[in-house]
Amino acid sequence: MHEDISGVYVVEMDDGSIRLATRNLAPGIKVYGETLLQHGGVELRLWDAYRSKLAAAFMKGLKTSPLRDGIKVLYLGVASGTTCSHVSDIVGNDGRVYGVEFSPRVMREFLERVAKYRRNVIPILADARLPTEYAHLVEEVDVIYQDVAQPYQSKILVDNADFYLKKGGWAFLAIKARSIDVTKEPSEVYKREVETLKDGGFEIVHVVHLEPYDVDHAMILARRT
Amino acid sequence: MGSFIGLLLCNDEGEVLEKALFPKNYEIQASKLYLLSKGESIDEVKELCEKARKLGIDELVVEDPKVAQVFVSAGFQNVKIETPNKVAKAIRSQLLKLVVKIGYATSEDEAVEILHKVAFNLSAKRIVEAVEKRDLLVAQAVSCIDEIEKILNILASRLREWYGVHFPELGNVIKDHEDFVRALILIGHRDNIKKKEVLEELGPLRDKISKILETGPSLGANVLQKDVDVIRDVASIVLKLYEVNERLRRYVDEVMGEVAPNLKELIGPVLGARLIALAGGLERLAKLPASTIQLLGAEKALFRALRTGSKPPKHGVIFQYPEIHRSPKWQRGKIARALAGKIAIAARVDFFTGEYIADELKEDLKNRIKEIKETYKSPPKKVVEKKVKKKVKKEGGSK
Repeated sequence: MHEDISGVYVVEMDDGSIRLATRNLAPGIKVYGETLLQHGGVELRLWDAYRSKLAAAFMKGLKTSPLRDGIKVLYLGVASGTTCSHVSDIVGNDGRVYGVEFSPRVMREFLERVAKYRRNVIPILADARLPTEYAHLVEEVDVIYQDVAQPYQSKILVDNADFYLKKGGWAFLAIKARSIDVTKEPSEVYKREVETLKDGGFEIVHVVHLEPYDVDHAMILARRT
Repeated sequence: MGSFIGLLLCNDEGEVLEKALFPKNYEIQASKLYLLSKGESIDEVKELCEKARKLGIDELVVEDPKVAQVFVSAGFQNVKIETPNKVAKAIRSQLLKLVVKIGYATSEDEAVEILHKVAFNLSAKRIVEAVEKRDLLVAQAVSCIDEIEKILNILASRLREWYGVHFPELGNVIKDHEDFVRALILIGHRDNIKKKEVLEELGPLRDKISKILETGPSLGANVLQKDVDVIRDVASIVLKLYEVNERLRRYVDEVMGEVAPNLKELIGPVLGARLIALAGGLERLAKLPASTIQLLGAEKALFRALRTGSKPPKHGVIFQYPEIHRSPKWQRGKIARALAGKIAIAARVDFFTGEYIADELKEDLKNRIKEIKETYKSPPKKVVEKKVKKKVKKEGGSK
């Protein structure tokens, strides 16, 4: 078990390398071909940092995480659900993950691989830029996790927070600098996004760069004040 | 407010005054929410309207503009939109508890189960709607655009000739076909250009037409009103076709954004759709090798080359990509090859994963094109080289 991060296990592999893992909420079922481990009666799923930005952020030294058992999460941009499945593991059966995705093709995979086997995952096919579109399905949440490849990422986060985030709630924002503006330097892009977040009432807790797992990506952890 | 169990009517304090609940069936719940999200009316809306009226309520506040629309069309005139709304937020903070309190579910666990199933069904519905062969529709639409454009060119040339008998000066000053047709319809008989109101309606074209007035009397033939009328009839259909064409383009743009966003961003909606049409669907395009994509639309030239051994074509429809046809001839083949590779990647991502990677693709392509332009600045001197080689041979032979 990770000493600082609730629900995340640190596994030392036979070759001495360190990997992350979460407790599998849907025993026996793999989401993206990850390895399943048995550990003291618990089934763990290895969490590939090269495929999940959240795992990369933890590997790169993100020490605090608001994700824990029973937490409600609004996840914008679930794609086919790699990271989302691990978030679902962490929050457990008392928690919930509202998974929003815009692309029907990816959503299909998300339904087949993740949502079908996990009751705590609520799949929503909608545009994260328009929070009203899913107001009839989503309750108030403790954490928003956002990974959408869009310009104005931070504005989308602020808009959704206005709708769904609890007072004092947290937000993860995965920033893909090249999706915002290919011509600008990544560091400049990060700075601009951080400013938008601050204007939207967020306090920046942590910024983690995800190299070498993801080039030109950063994970921002922020808290709504 | 709308929720997965039905519609709730609350007062400013967040107390539920009235409700119009869905039957407890995932399919029905999902399809009702589906209709609502499309701005279509459902029975529960009427039910809630009536209940609200009985309570003497004359103003509703909702968050979703589409839901507001539904209420207005159900006869409730005073509907305000507030995003986000305080009361709705308060309800969201205890939504599942409320579902139990109302008695819709016996426990929070059951409420979650319902929510999960409804959301699952709703998403599945939307997927089916979105994926159902939209790529083939877009292929048809883009083929139709090509055909309309062909027809437009033929008809516009005909109109120029025909109307030119009567008023040749108009065709000479207005070069754009669509503008010409519009002006023709407004003017009709050439004497009308002296009328003030006609000039005013012509808008930005007015200046060009005033020039005709300055150059003196028209060189065209005098014709009767009925002669002009038939020309105008044809012209108004042509103008209509221009509008349809524009609408089709917008449609292709929109649907391409849903079906193949990467392809659209990389090479534009129309060219992207054209490739889908040639390949026979996005799936087939995604499974083609880049070398085939490079030559899509140049089959005739390719088979001629294979048959006769002449030079093979360098590009098919991707020739329409500006960076190719604007470049000098000797660079086009290289750029076409690079572009086809990126198109293959974009089509595969669009079909198989749906991620958005077009920006990276564009960036890579831009760099590659730059590289090509720098490396192959001047045309290759093939002819000269051959001669030199021959010379060397000859010299070698003679020595």
